[in-house]
Amino acid sequence: MALTSQHARAATVAAVAGLIALPYAGVADFYLSYLYVVFFWIALATSWGILSGYSGYWSFGHAAFFGAGAYTTATLAGRWGVPFLLTIPAAAGIAAALALGIGWVVFRINTLRAEFFALLTLSVTYVLAAVISNTPIDGGGGVYLSNVAIPQLGTTVPGAIYLLGLALAFTALAVSRRILRSRLGAGLLAIHDDEDVAEVKGVPTLHYKLVAFAISSAIAGAAGAIQAAYVGYVTVGETFSITVPLYVVLMSILGGARHWAGPAIGAALITVALSLFVGGGHAELGRAGVALALVVVILVLPEGIAPSLLGRFARRRNSAPVAAPTPATASEPGNVVVMKLPAVHAAAGRPLLTCRAVAKSFGGIRALQGVDLQVEEGEILALVGPNGSGKSTLINMISGHFPLSSGSIELHGASIDGLAPHEVARRGIARTYQIPRLFNHLTVLENVRLCAFFGGAPDAAGESPDALALRWLAFTGLEAKAHVLPPALNLHERKFVELARALAARPRLLLLDEVLCGLTPTEVDHAIAMIRKIRAGGTTIVFVEHLMRAVVALADRIAVLDQGTLLALGLPRETMQDPRVVGAYLGAAHAA
Amino acid sequence: MGLTLLAQSAIGGLLLGGIYGLLALGLSLSWGLLRLVNLSHFALAFLGAYLTYQLGTQFGIAPWLSALVVVPAFFVAGMALHALFVRFQVSEFASMLVTFGITILIESLIQWLWSADYRRFESGYAQASLRIGPLFVPVLELAAFACAALLAVAAWAGLNRTLLGKALRAAAHDGPIAAAFGINATRLSYLLAGLCAASAGIAGVFIALTSTLAPSQIEAWIGVVFAVVIIGGLARPLGALAAGCLIGISESVTMAAVNPAWAPLVAFSILIVLLLWRPRWL
Amino acid sequence: MLLEVRNLHVSHGDAPALWDASLDVAAGQIVAVVGPNGAGKSTLINTIAGILRARQGEIRIDGTDIAKVQSHRVCEHGIAIVPEGRRLFTHMSVLDNLELGSWRADARGSAEGSLERVFSLFPILSERRHQIAGSMSGGQQQMVAIGRALMARPRLLLMDEPSLGLSPAVVEDMFRIIRTINERGVAVLLVEQNIHKALEMAHHAYVIEQGRIVASGKADTLLSNPRIREAYLGV
Repeated sequence: MALTSQHARAATVAAVAGLIALPYAGVADFYLSYLYVVFFWIALATSWGILSGYSGYWSFGHAAFFGAGAYTTATLAGRWGVPFLLTIPAAAGIAAALALGIGWVVFRINTLRAEFFALLTLSVTYVLAAVISNTPIDGGGGVYLSNVAIPQLGTTVPGAIYLLGLALAFTALAVSRRILRSRLGAGLLAIHDDEDVAEVKGVPTLHYKLVAFAISSAIAGAAGAIQAAYVGYVTVGETFSITVPLYVVLMSILGGARHWAGPAIGAALITVALSLFVGGGHAELGRAGVALALVVVILVLPEGIAPSLLGRFARRRNSAPVAAPTPATASEPGNVVVMKLPAVHAAAGRPLLTCRAVAKSFGGIRALQGVDLQVEEGEILALVGPNGSGKSTLINMISGHFPLSSGSIELHGASIDGLAPHEVARRGIARTYQIPRLFNHLTVLENVRLCAFFGGAPDAAGESPDALALRWLAFTGLEAKAHVLPPALNLHERKFVELARALAARPRLLLLDEVLCGLTPTEVDHAIAMIRKIRAGGTTIVFVEHLMRAVVALADRIAVLDQGTLLALGLPRETMQDPRVVGAYLGAAHAA
Repeated sequence: MGLTLLAQSAIGGLLLGGIYGLLALGLSLSWGLLRLVNLSHFALAFLGAYLTYQLGTQFGIAPWLSALVVVPAFFVAGMALHALFVRFQVSEFASMLVTFGITILIESLIQWLWSADYRRFESGYAQASLRIGPLFVPVLELAAFACAALLAVAAWAGLNRTLLGKALRAAAHDGPIAAAFGINATRLSYLLAGLCAASAGIAGVFIALTSTLAPSQIEAWIGVVFAVVIIGGLARPLGALAAGCLIGISESVTMAAVNPAWAPLVAFSILIVLLLWRPRWL
Repeated sequence: MLLEVRNLHVSHGDAPALWDASLDVAAGQIVAVVGPNGAGKSTLINTIAGILRARQGEIRIDGTDIAKVQSHRVCEHGIAIVPEGRRLFTHMSVLDNLELGSWRADARGSAEGSLERVFSLFPILSERRHQIAGSMSGGQQQMVAIGRALMARPRLLLMDEPSLGLSPAVVEDMFRIIRTINERGVAVLLVEQNIHKALEMAHHAYVIEQGRIVASGKADTLLSNPRIREAYLGV
């Protein structure tokens, strides 16, 4: 396998060298310009994919940043005589600043949905067009760059532009690839699948979206700068037309928006197809064709071409390095692994989590009314109660989903109420969901690895996130499923991936929300054994459960909630035989 | 700036707002009740406008007669498009992409049939206006506004006063429970899709009467009407009309007081301010 | 026998929720299904109402199998549901909610009469008929939900945890009203977590645990059955 990646690298270097050599080899300007157009769209589509493809926030406003870049160059070089090459980074910078400004306003609207973002960004394009059109920047007549000196770099002007386009396309691809393999990329992909869960697992979602937006726009801005020099005459109508957003969206969908090379493949295909089938004067026909293709592709091929092609290639590469999977299915907690969680102070009996007078109201409904609860370090505490008693609400507040109406929650003495969910995750609290919410486009291993990336305190042993992820998969008996996608798993397996994800974040406190719900009796026994092992490793566990015999078997203490108040707290048998508890469950007549 | 000028631009803006509201109506109902973002609504309206223009200039058919042909045809077209969505089980987001593509297809069709030149439908009434004190109220725009208001009220009444309308809202709110009481959401959704497309046809007739037509105009309206839809609230016919008027008046007054070219900024700014102040509006 | 459920298997996606469930409801009876949370009670009710689809099994109303009937046609067989959490059309008025209850063709004709009956059962709804449903208290919303179901003139009323989130006094009223409805000839299939009240009122009952029906019999005998204590309290 190492051979293949070396081969790929060598091939890439050779190809790039070859492409750079073309202008100096005397290739005709016509071909160079043709290739430039291909590079141009590759750069533009790839840059679009960095935010929109990875995170799922589809922007219809890519033209705004492209146009900002084009007009930066038009103004700086065309009007003020700034050397052309210097205007390129300036264009990128201005476009990025614009993106940051828009993102700062828009991404913080927490009811923002994908459709709104798309249409908002489309609106931005029109607004920018209007502003530019009505100010001296353009003034309505367009800007000529005919007197701008394009450095020829030892070849002709088209040759120089070709080289710049090549450089930009290469940069875009390299950046996109780098991002996909970094924490930023993992975070963006997680945001795509389930932003709320990503936030809870520690991904700084706002920060990442802004960064991706800025990078994406910077590249688009640079593309605008180069394009301005290429066409020599910049107008508002041409620059801010619907062409750019339409084309990049189709190119990315066709090629596959989740892969770093997908948009580029789509760009190359569409550009070549358009040039073959559409003559020079029939731009509208080209647009119509692209639009039709968009409609057909969305309806019939929502995931694009690249995933299936590249997926086959990637799977072959990936299957080798992983340790030989055990033939057993996820039916046994791995006995072979020694779990080494970060050194937890053996001071048992010290309160880890303290809830004081915690209350929560939703509108007029009082879900929690002054709950006082202390969770001791190293214990397994069960949280039970009839439907509507407030159990899930309490869990949601501890993990940071909802702010408190009043009261306080402290972890090891430090207040955590009011913190954003990803901050709470950083402090060492992990939770699972009753209905597993996995990142459906990431493999099991990638799901767990992400949580290892963004989880609590860094592991003292300096283990790589990959190794950590594999370790937890082995613990939950799921190594055989490491490269499977979640939709292919059954409920039992998905619940255990949830568990592995929570553990990979190396939490001090694990919140389990009805983890046994829906499991067969055998699966329930396995889960109970696993939970005992987790506690043996030093993690404190609070779990919400309805299956009473499991609760009584597993819990050190039971807390009973009823109608938002803590009804009883104590050892299992005593608590469940407490007349008040019996009354709450079975009705007053039984309690006696 | 004189009071008369101010009042005159306000009137102009109010009437323009009527058309905004009319366009927004179909989009708002479709988005709010069917969970489909039908961007092709604009293109459809313009297609209706061009058809009215063609029937009028080539065959001398009066606009209201053209409407009798165009509107039912669009009703059927709306249902056909909806059938596509149902057949392919298109999500809310995908519907936006698909209709984005369809918009461009229709725009290309218009450009192919009628070229990119500006067209103006010369009806006899173009110059007519009512005189109210020192103010002029153009008759055509007034008719457009009246029609828009009528449709908005009719839509409101339909949704809030008829059992059919209530059933539609119930199905949009909680499909499974509505079905448990016998409400066939799919059949109702076809009806609504047809009505929305028909409203696009009506809007088109008035656009032909009051504006200059060019394929590039389609895109110009998308931004504004989108803002009107959001500000007016999804599936709120009266809200759409009110928002349309608000934006129309703001735009006109800005154009008169500051600079005509800043108009596109107005709708967008109002939207952003609203979203920042009341994020729950979405 | 009005309702016969035989060997019902229901899954949520691939997670089995109900295994091989069978039960009977005779005309005019009150039948209770009790069990801990997550046992599958709601799944059972929702499947009978046509909201969920069963993998396998039969649901017979007066002999006609409705398991494969389309969701919006199930109510034509005389079934109406009072869902868990009420699930009212919260942005609409009380009157609107009630009227929509009689949407189905054979109930619409007698809608006025039905409305009278509902208002006589729940006088407060008559006073507040134009109030937006979502702004009412839990107990009042429950009345609206029951009223809406009654407007469909059902022969079988399905009730999913009617006492959920309600204060004890309101629960008392609720069960009294259910008894009244039953006395007027409507059979009731009642799913409840509040075992005591449910078994007090029902003629016949089933106990469900982890997706399976584990016990059935006359309601009063079940009340003293140790399996229930075990199922609920684990001890």
